[in-house]
Parts: sequence; structure tokens; C-alpha cells
Amino acid sequence: MKLASHIVQEDVLLQRLLTLPNKIETIPQLNEFIDGVCEEVGIDMTITMSLNLAMEEAVVNVMSYAYPNGVGDVHIEAIATKKILIFTITDSGIPFDPTAKEEVDTSLSVEERPIGGLGIHLVRQIMDCVSYEYVDGKNILTLEKNISAINQ
Amino acid sequence: MNLEIKEMNGGYTAILNGRLDTPAAVKVQQDMAPLLENADKEIILDCTNLEYISSSGLRLFLTLRKETASKGGKVIIEHINDDIKKVFMMTGFFNLFEIR
Repeated sequence: MKLASHIVQEDVLLQRLLTLPNKIETIPQLNEFIDGVCEEVGIDMTITMSLNLAMEEAVVNVMSYAYPNGVGDVHIEAIATKKILIFTITDSGIPFDPTAKEEVDTSLSVEERPIGGLGIHLVRQIMDCVSYEYVDGKNILTLEKNISAINQ
Repeated sequence: MNLEIKEMNGGYTAILNGRLDTPAAVKVQQDMAPLLENADKEIILDCTNLEYISSSGLRLFLTLRKETASKGGKVIIEHINDDIKKVFMMTGFFNLFEIR
């Protein structure tokens, strides 16, 4: 597996991979995976909950849009150093950039608030960096959380 | 995850139990139908035992809120935990609901 450019192998505390089919019912398996990663890295319950939320939103988004014509896999990789936790979500579906979505206006009234768009908004709020690329027929969504302050 | 609906004093109380994640929201959406039908009344969402909510759950809350806004009812959210409070802060939901 290729490491993100800004971390080196010696600093890696943990590297794990989970593959799920594009079925929403498998989300509890993602939650277990994230809980396991956070426990091993020593992340507290509150941050673990918010990471679970960000990852659920990002993965559900991929599951819902990547494979409009059928089934496909979604690969979730977690890499942690003392300073940073990086999740990479990869699929081989149609090109889809969730980061291109417009920001939700959280100041709107009940009548004006659209029902959708909250998922990617939560991902942006919780994570420190969210980036997307389409490489070799794959969508690659990378979510980073700085953990140096919370993990001493 | 389950949703229990009780009728009392002319209004409704819905008790939410467990994790309202994306798969759970699919089920709860059906269970919530009686609340949408009574959106002209006061509806209390008792979240004492709600452990977690994701955007699909938030969408259900917002749908109910919009329905009560158009039919003259009211949604009151009770006893959300600190983690869910944070999610409400991030999404501006404090501006949309009566929370106590």
C-alpha cells in the first residue's frame, strides 16, 4: 500500500484495511473497524464518536453514488502516526467528487433549510483535511485528523 | 435502534432508543409515519437513550420539523447527550428546534 506523501513508514503506528460491499447494512462493520482503530491509537470516546460519524457519512456517500448499476467494493484504509490519523476511502465506480458539493448554510430557517447535504458538511466539520482525486479508474477520498493534541 | 410512540395530553411523545445510524434511519423513517400524520400537534422526541445520530437521522428530525411548521404543530427535543449536542451545533440544528 502506498503511504500518504507526508508520512514515513517508521512513524506508522497502525495500518489497517477494511473492504465492504456497497451495502448500507454493513455500516455497523465500519463502526467496529473505526472503534478498533481509535482504541488502539488511544483516542477518547468523544473524538471516536465524531470520527465514526465522519466516516459513516463519507462511506455511505460512496456506497450511494459510486455504483449506480449494481454492486462494487469500497476499501477503507486507516493509517496512524502519533500526530495524524488518515483514512482513505477507495472505490472503482463512476467518478464522483463529494468535496465539490456546496457548503450547507446552517443559518437558514426551517422552511428554507434543504433536507440534504448534511453528510459532507459533517465530514468537513469533523476532519482537518478532506481531499479527493480520481486516479487509474479509482475514486480516492482522503480524510485526515490531527491527533497530536489529543493523543499525548 | 427502536422508536416507541405514546399519545398523551393531546400530543405525542416518541422515545428513541439506541444508535440512529444510516441503516437504522431507513427503519425509523417508516416507524415515524404516525408522527408526520399528527404534525398539527405537539411532538416530543425523548432522546434520553439516543446514543448516536448521523445525517440520515438528522434528516428525519428536519422532515418532521418542516411538516409541523406547515401544519401548525411543534417539535420539542428532550435530553440529548453531549455528543449529539455537538452534532446539533455543527449542523445549526439548535436554531431549528426547541431543545430542553
